[in-house]
Amino acid sequence: MDARKFYLNPSAYGMPTRDELVAMRIWDSHYHGFQSSPQPIKQHQETMYYVERMGIERVIAFDVGGTWQRPLVDTDFETQKWEILVKDQDRGVSGIIPIEPSYPEKSLAKMEKWIRHGPCIGIKYSGGNEAGVSCNHPNNDPIIKLAVELNAVIYIHTWLKVGGTPPRSGGGNSPGESSPMDVARLAQRYPGVSLICGHSGGDWELGVRAIRPFKNVVLEFAGSDPHSGAVDHAVRELGADRIVWGGHGPSRSFATELGKVLDADLTNADRMKIFGGNYRRLAAPIFRKKGLKIVL
Amino acid sequence: MTPREFFINPADYGLPTRDELVAYRIWDTHFHGFYGSQTPLEQYTRNNFYVERMGIERSISLEIGGTLDAPLVPSPHDDAIRAILEKDKDRLSGITPIDPGFPDESCAKMDKWIRNGPCIGIKYVGGNKSGITCSHPNNDAIIRRAAELNATIYIHTWLKVGGMPRLPGRDNNPGESTPMDVAKLAQRFPNVPMICGHSGGDWELGARAIRPYKNVSLEFAGSDPHSGSVDYAIKELGVDRVVWGGHGPSRSYATELGKVLDADISRADRMKIFGGNFRKMAAAIFRQKNLKIEV
Amino acid sequence: MKHIDRRSFLKNSLLTTAALSLPGGLAVTPAAAASAAPAGSAQATGLVDTNVNLFSWPFRKLKYSDTKSLVAKLKKHRVVEAWAGSFEALLHKDMDGVNARLAAECRTNGGGLLIPFGSVNLAWPDWEEDVRRCQEVHKMPGIRIYPGYQPFDLDHPDMERLVRMTAERGLILQVVFGMEDPRVHHPQITVGRVSSAPLIAALKNTPNARVQLLHFSGSVRGEDLNQLMKETSAVMDISRLEGNGAVGRMIGSAPGMTAGRAPVERVLFGSHAPYFPLETAILKLIESPLDAKQLQAIMQGNARRLLPRA
Repeated sequence: MDARKFYLNPSAYGMPTRDELVAMRIWDSHYHGFQSSPQPIKQHQETMYYVERMGIERVIAFDVGGTWQRPLVDTDFETQKWEILVKDQDRGVSGIIPIEPSYPEKSLAKMEKWIRHGPCIGIKYSGGNEAGVSCNHPNNDPIIKLAVELNAVIYIHTWLKVGGTPPRSGGGNSPGESSPMDVARLAQRYPGVSLICGHSGGDWELGVRAIRPFKNVVLEFAGSDPHSGAVDHAVRELGADRIVWGGHGPSRSFATELGKVLDADLTNADRMKIFGGNYRRLAAPIFRKKGLKIVL
Repeated sequence: MTPREFFINPADYGLPTRDELVAYRIWDTHFHGFYGSQTPLEQYTRNNFYVERMGIERSISLEIGGTLDAPLVPSPHDDAIRAILEKDKDRLSGITPIDPGFPDESCAKMDKWIRNGPCIGIKYVGGNKSGITCSHPNNDAIIRRAAELNATIYIHTWLKVGGMPRLPGRDNNPGESTPMDVAKLAQRFPNVPMICGHSGGDWELGARAIRPYKNVSLEFAGSDPHSGSVDYAIKELGVDRVVWGGHGPSRSYATELGKVLDADISRADRMKIFGGNFRKMAAAIFRQKNLKIEV
Repeated sequence: MKHIDRRSFLKNSLLTTAALSLPGGLAVTPAAAASAAPAGSAQATGLVDTNVNLFSWPFRKLKYSDTKSLVAKLKKHRVVEAWAGSFEALLHKDMDGVNARLAAECRTNGGGLLIPFGSVNLAWPDWEEDVRRCQEVHKMPGIRIYPGYQPFDLDHPDMERLVRMTAERGLILQVVFGMEDPRVHHPQITVGRVSSAPLIAALKNTPNARVQLLHFSGSVRGEDLNQLMKETSAVMDISRLEGNGAVGRMIGSAPGMTAGRAPVERVLFGSHAPYFPLETAILKLIESPLDAKQLQAIMQGNARRLLPRA
């Protein structure tokens, strides 16, 4: 079926039509089209069907220049990804690169290659590493400093998995997997640097409160189940200007992630901020530095 | 202060006065006056202050002949307690603990303390070394003897949560019966009235376990007072199947009376629970022993 | 103890009526008591219940979980003020939502009787902000914590800070030592015993803290209670006191006792309603041989000293 063909009229069910979604100018700050597949290019192409169908304006791919499991090791597909990022930049595809805070020097080199001299617009802290170095460790200081110099967007995967004995929130995290509390500590060290607290820490009631005092941290809440009321809560505690949207496709459905925002009692203006406006503000400096077109 | 001296008028607080408690004719089917003390006689005497203060008409002591910990081993206080039972027989009765690990010895004890002694019933205690609960075939001889003697049958039950995975009843002591054990026993002896003691501790489960067996009554002393528990028991079992216990002195009469006063029931129903139901159950043995009883 | 035979027991019972509490602390004669209005005399001391909770107990629909019915019940039994926590505080993560709903409920359906005691959870981030909001936004006079259900113990590194913060802000801190007999917990719940030792240490460092222990009776041997009474100024409620004459035994007024475990000034009325029947807590005051002065202190005076009438 054609991506734009529907046999169901969303408005008959109190949902936005595709045109209305397009009008919201949705930027997916958490796109996994290249992730966890033996054929990442093919997976990306297949996922773009849904990107088109759901009216997403831009995706920010996370899995460029390595994978989240091995951020500093190129896969066989990196050249193709590079070409896609260059070729499809105007067609709504951007990328950020995973870095590894256990190896700051190598991470810096990767940022030079992929951001300063390449197509990428930011960095991503992945969900753990063998050395157990989270985003709060001093190793991160040169990484953050270079990111600032490059105007790179900084996305930090965070979770608060319950585990341990006795069970506690965050006690089940992987080694090196950051929590929102780690982001809060990093943010305190770099109050002028914008950071994205990814996944809302998974446990959003706790994640939101952990970062609340630090105005330079925005929240992204993809990749966890959709809980009614979550976005209302985040807006109440952080304000609508501190929330960005992610789709987490193809492993999460756009339906899941769009539903979180549509559930919230927001004005259209605030919804547009969350769906893309806030992220565009974060990314505008690097877009402009790279001579890329961006309309806020 | 004397037991009948009060500086607070219960009626001012929406509660029955002592006279009203007396008028309820409260029989405490779960009296531990002689239990858990090195000096059980002193404890009994001391506790009488509260028995009188709270207007309890009769207490049924659960530890007559031996102790709950060693039901078949005579206690050094047995003779003295027997004398008290005789002396205070107009307000004190006793039932004797048995041990289903030893049915023959238990039957012999019943002959001594019930057939030929002052007691009116038996008590299954909270466990035994042999790990024999009340549903074990060992109990058949005991129940038959109890029926023959018209003895009341009180079975301690609990459903302590524990084990791996955790489930109600998995932390019970060896030989400590559950309401489910009582249900099995009741099914084998459908015409023998028995009391499921403590409501199994976990009353929502305990009441449902015994619900199908009309010969089982529920007693709910010795656990925390939960608002709504008596309403629930009545809804599931009917008011005729609930009897009251005080569990003093280790539990407060306040705790146990509060459970019933919390329930939205008529005065007549309250009287059944506080004493009427047990009196009906015990009437046969009282009469057999020529003890006065007004049901 | 005089011997009572059944005949005189019943006869005397029928002749005797409960005596009334009088300002002078004298027990009145049965005749005078009988002439008093049995439905309640206007001058009887009202109760301040320092331990109730609103909303839904997570594991059972409680009889008085609806606030209006709870308030009616409290009024029926002459409770004139109740310090209300929220069952939601046990397991919720959004504590500000919990506290906001509690404050609104007390305001809307509290019948002028409920005083909200919000909660903070030391295991959750940003709890200091919740303390601030409890006082400044929700206008609460105190905080109630539920260690065990809330996933921290009293040895949590932030415990001292909480004690200090509440003291500095003039807030009452209520520490709940239990909600339910562990033997009947839902199998999925594993809540261990709460030890008071770290709290005692924290209180010694902040002697001006106003702390009440709820549903606490001390260990079997009682060292913790002794230490609390000797080395801190903490007070406690009566909801966990068990056994015949328990309140009297706690303050040393039971027959034959020469000393108690806690001075009467440190014991406050608390019912643990609507989980426990309110009747149980009031009956404890009736069952224990307490004189007028002791009753006045437990029923209201001690609570008023901690929190003057709003």
